[in-house]
Amino acid sequence: MYVLGIDIGSTASKAVAMTMDKKIYAKAVVSHGTGAIGPKQVYEKILSESKLEKSELKRILVTGYGRFVFDDADSQKSEISCHAKGVLYLSPDVRTIIDIGGQDVKAILLNDKGMITNFVMNDKCAAGTGRFLDNMAKVLNVKTHELGALSEHATEVVNISNTCTVFAESEVISQLSKNVSVENLIAGIHQSVAKRVSSLVYRNGIVKEVALSGGVALNKGVVKALSEALKLEIIVHEDCQFSGALGAALFALEEIGQK
Amino acid sequence: MKKIETLLDRFAFVANKPSAVMKVYLEEGKKIVGCFPVYTPQPLITASGMIPMGIWGGQITPTVAGKYNPIFTCSIMRSCLEYGMTGVYKGMSAVMMPMLCDTFRGMSSSWRAGVKEIPLIAFIHPQNRLDSGALDFMIEEYKSVLKRLEALSGVQVTNASLNAAIDLYNRKNAVMQTFNEVANDHLDIITPTVRHHVMKSATFLEVSETIQLVGELIALLKAQPIHKWTGHKLILTGITAEPEALLSLFEENKIAVVGDDLAQESRQYRTAYPAGEMAFERLASQWLNIKGCSMAYEEDSQSRGKMLVDMAKKQDADCIAVCLMRFCDVEEYDYPYISKATENAGLYSLCLEIDQSTQDNGQSRTKIQSYAEMAASLV
Repeated sequence: MYVLGIDIGSTASKAVAMTMDKKIYAKAVVSHGTGAIGPKQVYEKILSESKLEKSELKRILVTGYGRFVFDDADSQKSEISCHAKGVLYLSPDVRTIIDIGGQDVKAILLNDKGMITNFVMNDKCAAGTGRFLDNMAKVLNVKTHELGALSEHATEVVNISNTCTVFAESEVISQLSKNVSVENLIAGIHQSVAKRVSSLVYRNGIVKEVALSGGVALNKGVVKALSEALKLEIIVHEDCQFSGALGAALFALEEIGQK
Repeated sequence: MKKIETLLDRFAFVANKPSAVMKVYLEEGKKIVGCFPVYTPQPLITASGMIPMGIWGGQITPTVAGKYNPIFTCSIMRSCLEYGMTGVYKGMSAVMMPMLCDTFRGMSSSWRAGVKEIPLIAFIHPQNRLDSGALDFMIEEYKSVLKRLEALSGVQVTNASLNAAIDLYNRKNAVMQTFNEVANDHLDIITPTVRHHVMKSATFLEVSETIQLVGELIALLKAQPIHKWTGHKLILTGITAEPEALLSLFEENKIAVVGDDLAQESRQYRTAYPAGEMAFERLASQWLNIKGCSMAYEEDSQSRGKMLVDMAKKQDADCIAVCLMRFCDVEEYDYPYISKATENAGLYSLCLEIDQSTQDNGQSRTKIQSYAEMAASLV
C-alpha cells in the first residue's frame, strides 16, 4: 500500500507517492496549478508513471492553494505545515525554510524538534513571487526556466524595483529601450526578488540551516541573489519543488498511524 | 435557547443590512447622522434628538469613488465614498468625520466634492493629548460640531440633556464590555461571526436599543450552562475583521475569539466618559483618556502591545491576530511594536490582510489553518 501527497499550487501541481516505510516511490509535476486541469493531470500522471492503482492508495492528503477542491482527497493540511515536514525529510538540519511559490512567499521557523514555531507570508502582492518571474520572463521573451542560466552571463546587476510587479515591468521595458542586456536585467530581477524575500525572512528571524523550497528554488540566479542578500549559504535539495507534496504524503502516513 | 437564536438573528440582520435599519428609522421620522470611524461624539447626536449610525463601507469594488480617491486609499474610505456617491447613504441628514489620519484629510475633500447632498461635519482630535490646551481644543471642536447638529435637528441641547446622553453611552459601553466577558463562557454559542454581529450591530442601532438587546442577550447567556471550550483562543486587533468569510475560517479551525481591540468593535467601547457636571468637559476628556489606539498618539509606543498581551493572558489566548487594513498607515506604524510584544510574550502572532475590495481569503485561510496546526503540534 502507498499514500499520496499532492501539492496544488497556483502555477504548478506536484504529487509524491510514498511507501508505508516512508520511502519516495514516485513523483510527478505538471505546470498547471489550481483549477480543473492541473490537479487532474498530476493525479493521472503519477498513477500512470508509477503503474499504481487508485485502490493501492491508502490515503490521499492534499496541500497548497487548491487543497480544498480535490475530490479524491481524504484530508487537507496547510502548505506551511507540509513544506516544513517535507523539507525536514530532505534536509533534517534545516531550521529556517523559505518557500517561494507561484503567488506566495513564506518564511518558516522550526525548533530543534522540527516543530514550527513561527511563520510569515507575503501580502496580496505578486512582487517577489514566482508569478513575478513569469511576468518578467514574458517581457524579456525568454522561458521562466531559462532565467537562472541566463543570469550567470550577467556583467552587472541592474537595479529593479521590488515594490510592485507592474512598476517593475515598466522599469524592465524602459531598460530594454536603452539597450541594457537581457542577462543584466535578469540578474537585476533576481536581486529584486531576493531583496523582497529577504525582508520577509528577516521579519520572521533566521536560524541556521536555511533551505529554499518551492519551484523558484530551481532558479540558480534567485538562490545566488538570496544567499547574497541574507549573507549565508542556502540549502537547495534536488527535490525542493516536491517538498510540499512530500510533507503531505508524510502527514498522510501519520494520519493512518504509520509514524 | 430559541430566545437567544431570535436575538442573534436580529443582530445578524442589523450587522448585514444597516440600510434596512436606516429605512425604518427614516420612516419613523427620525433623523440620522452617519458616523465615520471612529470616536465621533455620538452623545451630541443623541442629545440633539437624532440617531448616530456607523459608516463602515462594505465589501465592494468601488468604481465611481476612483474619481476622487486613488486606488491606494484604505478600502473603507473608498467604499464609504462609493456608497455616498451612489446614494446608499441617501436620507442621512449629515455625516460626521473625525480627521484621525492623513487619509481622512483627503477624504473630507472627496466627500464634499462627490456627495453634495449629504453635508459633512468634519472636526479634529488634538493629538498632543498631554498638552494643557488639548482639553480646551477638543471642547471647542465639539461645540462647533454641536452648532451644526442643532441647526439640523432644531433641538437646543443643554448641559443636562448632554449629560444624560453621555450617561446613556456609558451604559452602552458597560453593557458591551459585559457582553465580552459573558460571551467567553459561551464560545459554543458566541462564535467569531456571532460575536462580530453583536459588536457591529451596536454601531448601527439606537443606543437605547443596543443597551436593551445586548442586555437581554447577556441575561439569556448567563442562564445557560458554562461551556468548556477546548479549541484555540485568540485576540483580534486592527480596524475591522471582515468579511464574515474570514471569521468563518476561525470557526472551521476551531478557533474562538475571546477578546478584541478592533476599532469597529470593542475599541470604541472600552473608555468610559468620566463623571462630572460639565458635559462638554466629560465628552472631551474621554479622548484624552484613550489608550492603546493607533489613532490616538501616545509617547509610549509599546502601550498597545502591552495591552494586547495582557488581554491575551487574561483570557488564556495563545495568539494575537493583527487584522491589518491595507494602506492604513496608522495601523502599519503600530504593527512592528505589536508583533514584537507578542513574540516577547511567547504568543503566536498572525497578520491577516484586510481589504474590502476583494473577496479572496486564500492567504488568510492558509495562515489561520497553519496557526491552528502549529499550535496543536506544540501542545
